[in-house]
Amino acid sequence: MKILILGAGAVGGYWGARLHQAGVDVTFLLREKRAETVRRNGLVVKSAKSGDAVLPVKVVTKGSEGGPYDVIILACKAYDLSSAMDAIAPAVGADTTLVPILNGHAHFATLDARFGKDKVAGGLARISGMLGPNGEILHSGASGVSFGERDGKPARQSLVELDAACKKAGIDGGLNPNIDQDLWDKWIMLGSIASMCSAMRGTVGDSMESEDGAAIMAEILEECRKVAAAEGCPPSDKIVGAVKANLTTKGAKTVASILGDIEKGGAVEGKQIVGDMLARARRHGIAAPNLRFAYAHLQTYEARRSRSGLK
Amino acid sequence: MKILILGAGAIGGYVGGRLHESGADVTFLVRPGRRAALERDGLVIKSTKGDVTQKVKTVLNGSEGGPYDIVLLTSKAYDLDSAIDAIAPAVGPNTTVVPLLNGMRHLDVLDAKFGTGKVVGGLARVGVAMLPDGTIHHTSPFAAISFGERDGKPARQSLVALDAAIKKSGVDGGLHADIVQDLWDKWIMLCSLATMCCLMRGSSGDILEADEGRAIMLETIEECRQVAAAAGHDPGDKGIETIRGFLTVKGSRFTASMLHDLEKGAPVEADHAVGDMIARAKKAGISTPNIRMAYAHLQVYLARRSRAG
Repeated sequence: MKILILGAGAVGGYWGARLHQAGVDVTFLLREKRAETVRRNGLVVKSAKSGDAVLPVKVVTKGSEGGPYDVIILACKAYDLSSAMDAIAPAVGADTTLVPILNGHAHFATLDARFGKDKVAGGLARISGMLGPNGEILHSGASGVSFGERDGKPARQSLVELDAACKKAGIDGGLNPNIDQDLWDKWIMLGSIASMCSAMRGTVGDSMESEDGAAIMAEILEECRKVAAAEGCPPSDKIVGAVKANLTTKGAKTVASILGDIEKGGAVEGKQIVGDMLARARRHGIAAPNLRFAYAHLQTYEARRSRSGLK
Repeated sequence: MKILILGAGAIGGYVGGRLHESGADVTFLVRPGRRAALERDGLVIKSTKGDVTQKVKTVLNGSEGGPYDIVLLTSKAYDLDSAIDAIAPAVGPNTTVVPLLNGMRHLDVLDAKFGTGKVVGGLARVGVAMLPDGTIHHTSPFAAISFGERDGKPARQSLVALDAAIKKSGVDGGLHADIVQDLWDKWIMLCSLATMCCLMRGSSGDILEADEGRAIMLETIEECRQVAAAAGHDPGDKGIETIRGFLTVKGSRFTASMLHDLEKGAPVEADHAVGDMIARAKKAGISTPNIRMAYAHLQVYLARRSRAG
């Protein structure tokens, strides 16, 4: 089985590195500059969990090279989806399966329209990490992935093989017979923490210091839970309880990565993580006053960012 | 008439400077560091209405230089306690305290300390800041203060005299026949602007770029209006239209000074300007979801600030 990974960021880069270490046939599709660095220095991974490594991975700069691929792992930001699709398009053959690892749900409609629904599986990653100043992957904490057929049918051969490859590589998770539910479970968590951390501009623990912080957090989670339920994927009580406990812990340094992006003036996935949740709430007639504030906050941020960008 | 001004910061420095310039008997109650700077550089005003640098009278202690007819109190709400301690020795039997603070709660505190009869209502509408070098930098096209008796009775002699001095100084405004309404009008405006600029971290124009920015802004004004109405001080449709007009201009760079404070990590008048509005809403059974969210934001900011500090 041949796997193509678009980009070598914290998520795709770590996942691909572990697969490569396990002897899986992995190729990275990179931009010229990143390709040059990785060809020269190797793919550098620093991880307390799985150890440090410098890996001579296969690199291409065009999707038309090195194929055909059985699986393409797409781990880009939502605002880069359009250029990401252009980059991988030449690599998508008749038997290729796309495994997108994006936040939210909005990317499915876009990918389905471009490549056909049967080529697009569901997927998500629970890998925490970031890129260091020299492009090294600084992995911290979790290293799980989840993927599967979106319609709940038995998994196609390439996903079964990807599952086997992940298990061999020591990556948690793998094939999930109910990926739709897992996507929603992740989204309600992410939608809640991203809304709260951006609208409050603080960590979970900071938010808990305000009189109504715990109440507002619980309300946001409930707004997201209702949307997931209306979309046919109600989270279990266990999931809701775990998310709520996580997001209302006094003193917790837990923070959404979107806040880091905001504080350095970067691009954010406001529309995909919060705006689309709010839009779905509206469609189902669910009141979501807190998501509404959070999305207005993110849109104000974008307006101000584009304004100061013109200076 | 002798006027004591607590501090020579943005508002006090500007208003006091204009009064002094026009011949009023003004003394600034300042700390030693500020006094040394004023003696060295003079009181420096850079203003849309003309620059001036002048020597001014200063004292380090409220017991010096009195008795005073008027004490102008221009501290921030979070400094009110120390401000009260500083002016207390300057407040004699015939002194009137004119606070120029935002919100309303300080009036209860001042009444308790000095007695209702000594404390009148007052507010400032001046876009002004003190630069790190002590320069008073006035940037708005307007500069006005407003003061008057809170019970609506004819103004006492010292306020009439202050009104004459203000008119002579070129500062706009002066004696106001319904100062409590004016205080509410300003608080509605300030609370709406400050809560939304801080919650959204942008100017009023940035907020209006969000799909629901305008709706959220209008709701917030309405929340404040209901609180004012419950206190018997509805600003009326015309008053509300004026506030809406200021806060819903597309492309406007109009921003609450509280947001600037937030972005430089300074203290903010969260409890006084926002928390107190919520407390009054609760007492009156009024729901204020927008202000609640903004107050949580400010409390998170303060928590983060004290954590980082």
